[in-house]
Amino acid sequence: MDKLKKYEYSMDSCNHCGQCKWILPPKMHGWDFAEICPIHRYHRFDAYSGQGLLNISKEVLNGKLKIGEGLEKVLWSCTMCGACDVNCKSVRDIEVLETIHTLRTVCAEEGTAPESLLSMAKKVEETHNIYGESHDKRFAWLPEGFEDDKDSDTVLFVGCSAYTHPEIALAAIKILKAGGVKFRLLREEEFCCGASLWRGGLMADAEKLISRNMALFKEKGIKKIITACAECFGSFRGIYPRFGAMEAEVLHITQVAAKLLEEGKITLKTDGEMQKLTYHDPCMLGRLSEPWEAWEGEIKPYGLHVPEKKWRRGFDGVYAEPRAILEAIPGLETVEMPRNKEDALCCAYHSRETDGDMSACTAEERIREAKAMGAEKIVSACPFCLDALSDAMPMEDISVLLARYIEEGGAI
Amino acid sequence: MSLKREVYEALEAVVGKRWISEDEFVLSGNRVKTPEVPFFYHTADAIIIPGSTEEVQKVLRICNENGICFVPLVSGVSAESFANRAGTVLIQLSRMNKIVEINGLDRYAIIEPGVRHVQLYPELRKRGLSYTAAAVGPGGSVLANFTSSSGDHHNQHNASRSNRYLLGVEMVMPDGEIVRTGSLATDSGWFCPDGPGPGLRGLMKGYFGNHGQLGIITRIAIGLTPCNGPSEIESGGISPNHYVRMISPCSKVYVFNFEHIYHVRDAMLKIGEAEIGATVLKYFYLPATLMMTNSANEFHEKWNGGYKEALSMPLVVHLATQSEKEMAYEEKILFEIMEETGGKRIPREIEKWWDEHMDFFMIVSRLQSVLRLGGGWMPIKLGSDSVTHMCEIGRSIGDFIHDFTDTGKIFDAPENYQIIPMEYGHFAHIELLVNWDRTNPAAGKGIGELRIRSRNNDLENKFHAETTGSLNANMEALGPLYSNCHLWLRRIKEAIDPNGIANPLM
Repeated sequence: MDKLKKYEYSMDSCNHCGQCKWILPPKMHGWDFAEICPIHRYHRFDAYSGQGLLNISKEVLNGKLKIGEGLEKVLWSCTMCGACDVNCKSVRDIEVLETIHTLRTVCAEEGTAPESLLSMAKKVEETHNIYGESHDKRFAWLPEGFEDDKDSDTVLFVGCSAYTHPEIALAAIKILKAGGVKFRLLREEEFCCGASLWRGGLMADAEKLISRNMALFKEKGIKKIITACAECFGSFRGIYPRFGAMEAEVLHITQVAAKLLEEGKITLKTDGEMQKLTYHDPCMLGRLSEPWEAWEGEIKPYGLHVPEKKWRRGFDGVYAEPRAILEAIPGLETVEMPRNKEDALCCAYHSRETDGDMSACTAEERIREAKAMGAEKIVSACPFCLDALSDAMPMEDISVLLARYIEEGGAI
Repeated sequence: MSLKREVYEALEAVVGKRWISEDEFVLSGNRVKTPEVPFFYHTADAIIIPGSTEEVQKVLRICNENGICFVPLVSGVSAESFANRAGTVLIQLSRMNKIVEINGLDRYAIIEPGVRHVQLYPELRKRGLSYTAAAVGPGGSVLANFTSSSGDHHNQHNASRSNRYLLGVEMVMPDGEIVRTGSLATDSGWFCPDGPGPGLRGLMKGYFGNHGQLGIITRIAIGLTPCNGPSEIESGGISPNHYVRMISPCSKVYVFNFEHIYHVRDAMLKIGEAEIGATVLKYFYLPATLMMTNSANEFHEKWNGGYKEALSMPLVVHLATQSEKEMAYEEKILFEIMEETGGKRIPREIEKWWDEHMDFFMIVSRLQSVLRLGGGWMPIKLGSDSVTHMCEIGRSIGDFIHDFTDTGKIFDAPENYQIIPMEYGHFAHIELLVNWDRTNPAAGKGIGELRIRSRNNDLENKFHAETTGSLNANMEALGPLYSNCHLWLRRIKEAIDPNGIANPLM
């Protein structure tokens, strides 16, 4: 409970103002598409919201609510997308998401984590990926004879999703090659980034894996990590610093690609395709990728944090670069969804196993929003968003889209 | 205490299994625990989320027959939204969230309780319309603000307050019967607040609203206004560094600072006489500074670094006109009035914040930043009368508040009150806002003492400074100042809700 007590100030400061549930005013659009909390939108009870989970956390802390008597239902229904956190922090100094995550951690330590989460953790332990696929096949998608630059201090971290979406990893490689970026792959030494373990509250498992990965980066002298997956990117920037200093610079492939485009190092062809599309901001590339910095100090009267705290308010996510890429591709017209950038609606993929109805309903809502803006296709930068949203609407990963338009250096 | 099985099952049969819960963790989400209401701690027996007026009727009939108290709520931000005694169910109206109609020709909109300001405002703006968005923030229920509060807001200098715009009302009484008021009562539509016969709107709405003490209001029509200023709004940035601008020569914001509230009074009256300005308000200096900062630390730096003095007695004026010529006229008049009354422009580096945050004027955005100092806050007074009377009340706050600011019981901001004139200075509203250190138990106790001192000050001076309309202990003391309206409120309550189940606040 000491962990939870750390966030008692946040629990006690909530005034139920509702900003954790509603779109930020500068983005207000109309009656529709105004809600930003997936679980509250579906369940409607206030317990299913950032505000409600702060209340629940407080009552767990003071013993009024008992762990194991049902609160896990709402706790793991939450997608941990962080929209409540960013919205609250637009006007407040409260750690909503950190509190929810800490409650998960406490409940998991008490043995109440959902079976699906424990099963996933077992797969990661045994196979080093979230799918339980053979570790030997982690890079099975690499073309025969592919050579990376083994002396490079830049690594392309492809992530577990390369098992299910090798086209994303291949596209990332094509972009880097076309732009003349030297990099290496970790191949059999690459393990899962650990984001799913951390998000689920399985801290011991997450710490073990993350420490292992951080040691590997150090041992290999890695100075720069480029990720093909938003999940890994958000993990390295927002989660890893909790376990030690990340010495390597972390970039997402969209950041690298946008810079290469700006510098004219990759050029794009016109293929005659005319499409109207919209960009869906993945939580782990956007608001949740904001770098995490440790803060230990005292909260003085009237909210004064001594020493001053650097708040994660979603400001420092990756929003501009994906849009710059889409802007640069000939023949594309992009439209924005009302819930965009730091206030994007989560696809709710990560609650598929724990609250399937809510997850499916949220994905449908996001697709409805894209279609309402006149988009013919959704483009995103996260393989999990791709899995959540692509059933009902054409969807493409931004790296894959960009790679199709690259004029030179097409062959890997 | 929990509901009898047969009662729970009857309620479940009405709304369906998905929309009722008595799970402890669900109830926890609506238990009182806010910093401003640390002193009650009740648990609802269940939370029910009906989806229609018919379901509300059936739910209330079951409650009435079984002596179960009910409390309606939407956003749940106010202290009236919680179970305040044992044997209570909460009726969450968020599923009833339709904008039923927007009638641009006759300028009214019909809405259900779950519609929020952040939803209605942009829908109306698309149609060149606006409305009187109460000063509660974007997530507040529009219906609740029109029916259960005075509805004071930032633009009431020229638009008047929300309760002037309440038209037809559909309300479910505690016994489940539906009452329709205004033109709606005779099936003539929603357009008019009063129909033939006694004006039931006043009975239901009163001055401040009944917080569900007479039943549950399920639909209302509100009168709309044309948009002030330009239709083009530019917004952008990433939170918390957002901006919302009105780029137009027909929209300008000025902020002046004054030496004394009497000078503010004179300025307000002259501006009203000249009938210029879309917004005129003597704003709180503490929230003004809070809104301009992105963290409590930044607030303390700016407050102590000159903002307290620069905004000690600020008058915010938004001019929104139909033409540049009209703007030039209004600016000329405004500056003449400021010259006469001693209003001085605040430094441009501070004033420009308002230009960048026009959402403040639209839906009272960023208001929640007033809670940034840890959450201990309390609005006091909230009454209305003439501009002169309100400014006298504002002056008299200084007669007692220093006992609290100087001793650290509340934040040291003795002039932290706002006065908003309405209808070009024919009326005005006052609110004293206090923040206290929530982490200090002694400070919390001081708030109760401050409220009593404030009320006694009003009673001694016969000030119309407090809110009236809810059946609570405060009302008992203040009723004589308001023609003994508390006695009438009690009689009405007993006639309409003889079993005392509808949000019994007392």
